[in-house]
Amino acid sequence: MIRAQGLTKTYDGKVAVNGIDFTVEPGRVTGFLGPNGAGKSTTMRMILGLDAPTKGTVSVNGHRYAASPAPLREVGALLEAHAVHPGRSARNHLRWLAASNGIPTTRVGEVLELVGLDSVAAQRAGRFSLGMGQRLGIAAALIGDPPVVMLDEPVNGLDPEGVRWVRSLARQLADDGKTVFVSSHLMSEMALMADHLIVIGRGAILADSPIQEFMAEHASAYVRVKAPQTTDVEALLVGRGLDVTRTDDELRVQGLDAPAIGELIGSHGFLLHELTLVRSSLEDAFMELTADSVEYHARTEVAA
Amino acid sequence: MTTLAAPPTSGSLGRTVRSEWIKVASIRSTWWTTLAMIVLGAGFTTIISGVVAGDIASGKSGDSPGEYITQGLIFSQISAVVIGALVVTSEYGTGLIRATLAATPVRSRVLAAKAIVLSGFLFVVGTVTAFLGYFGGNAFFSNKGIGISLGDEHILRSMFGAGLYMAGLGLLAAAVGLLVRHTAAAISIVLALVFIIGQVVSLIPGTFGEWVMKLMPGNAGPGIVVPVSFGDNMLSPWTGFAVFVGEIALLSLVGFALFQKRDA
Ligand SMILES: Nc1ncnc2c1ncn2[C@@H]1O[C@H](COP(=O)(O)OP(=O)(O)OP(=O)(O)O)[C@@H](O)[C@H]1O
Ligand SMILES: [Mg+2]
Repeated sequence: MIRAQGLTKTYDGKVAVNGIDFTVEPGRVTGFLGPNGAGKSTTMRMILGLDAPTKGTVSVNGHRYAASPAPLREVGALLEAHAVHPGRSARNHLRWLAASNGIPTTRVGEVLELVGLDSVAAQRAGRFSLGMGQRLGIAAALIGDPPVVMLDEPVNGLDPEGVRWVRSLARQLADDGKTVFVSSHLMSEMALMADHLIVIGRGAILADSPIQEFMAEHASAYVRVKAPQTTDVEALLVGRGLDVTRTDDELRVQGLDAPAIGELIGSHGFLLHELTLVRSSLEDAFMELTADSVEYHARTEVAA
Repeated sequence: MTTLAAPPTSGSLGRTVRSEWIKVASIRSTWWTTLAMIVLGAGFTTIISGVVAGDIASGKSGDSPGEYITQGLIFSQISAVVIGALVVTSEYGTGLIRATLAATPVRSRVLAAKAIVLSGFLFVVGTVTAFLGYFGGNAFFSNKGIGISLGDEHILRSMFGAGLYMAGLGLLAAAVGLLVRHTAAAISIVLALVFIIGQVVSLIPGTFGEWVMKLMPGNAGPGIVVPVSFGDNMLSPWTGFAVFVGEIALLSLVGFALFQKRDA
């Protein structure tokens, strides 16, 4: 279990993480979702005691990470920056990690096999592809068979098969009762992997709920109505107490299902050009939720 | 799967030392640099001795073999600096420092382990280099009938002194590495300090300049390496080495304080 209380990090006066509280429970995959620069990696570094919180505390299994005599046996982490020396072989990288925490060397071979790197174990890590590097990072995270596993953007650089592998690995770890904390900036990925979702934007927690609940709450549906007499139709629907938003010649209606809306409009003699049920995707929900908190917007306007 | 035995209940310096040794030993550049240290150090001592042996034997030069029998180690200093700096800075260049501190969060223990591995390794390699140079160079001196015996005054001190000095130099470079966290910068600074600044300060006039020169790490430290001092403007061997150790300690303390405080 991971628990953060009032966790804050400021870099040179710039707030990266702003007084967040959250708990990551065992036995499920908790997704940590947020756009670029939201503070995910910073939060994870604070959990590991690599960066000192400016304010607040964070504990793992009830104590500070640094207080553990053999932390790799308690928490395994894949960090964003590849924390590997390019000149050292995969096996030797895992060997020094094992030695530092009193983990038997036999475990090195096991995790290499587990992540599918056993055939290239003697190769220098600098020669590895992005995906192989990620696998090595995951092997390092699992070396101490820890009850808490934390993965920062684990699917980065993986091919579809690799992505599926990470997904099932996370699932299996959670099913084994472990605490699994996985960050991503892709809602679609989280939807497939996570049981619980913590959404972060500009250093603040925007949502913290089971993924089902999050979907029900945020992935809303509406009915798109296009009718030539837009204004009259809008007045009619609003008159019935429905929730209507107008954009140009299009009405977005909530509060009644599509057939009922169609009948209502028809019964008043208005023409109808389009009647569509639109489900906004989770990705849209995420974009909407974090719209105000995205740090770097792409500029798409073109000079006229 | 191996069921892991119960995790240790306390941290241990021994585990961290083992881990740091695996790191150092599993990088090829360590061994190339070590090879360079031995070959250059022992090789140049041998060559220089061969060149000067005749003149010393004939009495043409007023020098003694002891002034030359560790000469090649001047070049070995470069390797010691490189190995020392890399022990710290290679971790920053690659982001490895985060894995290191995640594995061993007690930062003082990480530094202690690095210092033990580094100084132990350089002591052994430095001493071996000095002995090889002695055997190589002394072959020429013996040939001319002016050979030095290992039992002669200061010879053993200078052999093991070479190990001590190389260990110290490595620690100095590692400490500078903690300050600048950049490989090229750390190596350049220490090499400049030892090879250039240490000589340039002799241009400062008066006794002040003399003292600055004497106290520079690259001048104070190697006094214990040479069995017969080249110049008279140097501190006595052990006094010089004590100054050198003090300088390393001071830099290491500053480095440690920063390491303790800064985010990884
Ligand atoms: N060491 C640092 N020094 C200064 N600023 C930093 C540092 N680390 C992070 N930041 C800033 O803190 C904010 C949060 O960064 P962080 O890397 O935690 O975001 P993230 O959610 O992991 O983003 P991404 O999806 O891009 O990985 C950003 O504005 C970033 O620029
Ligand atoms: Mg990140």
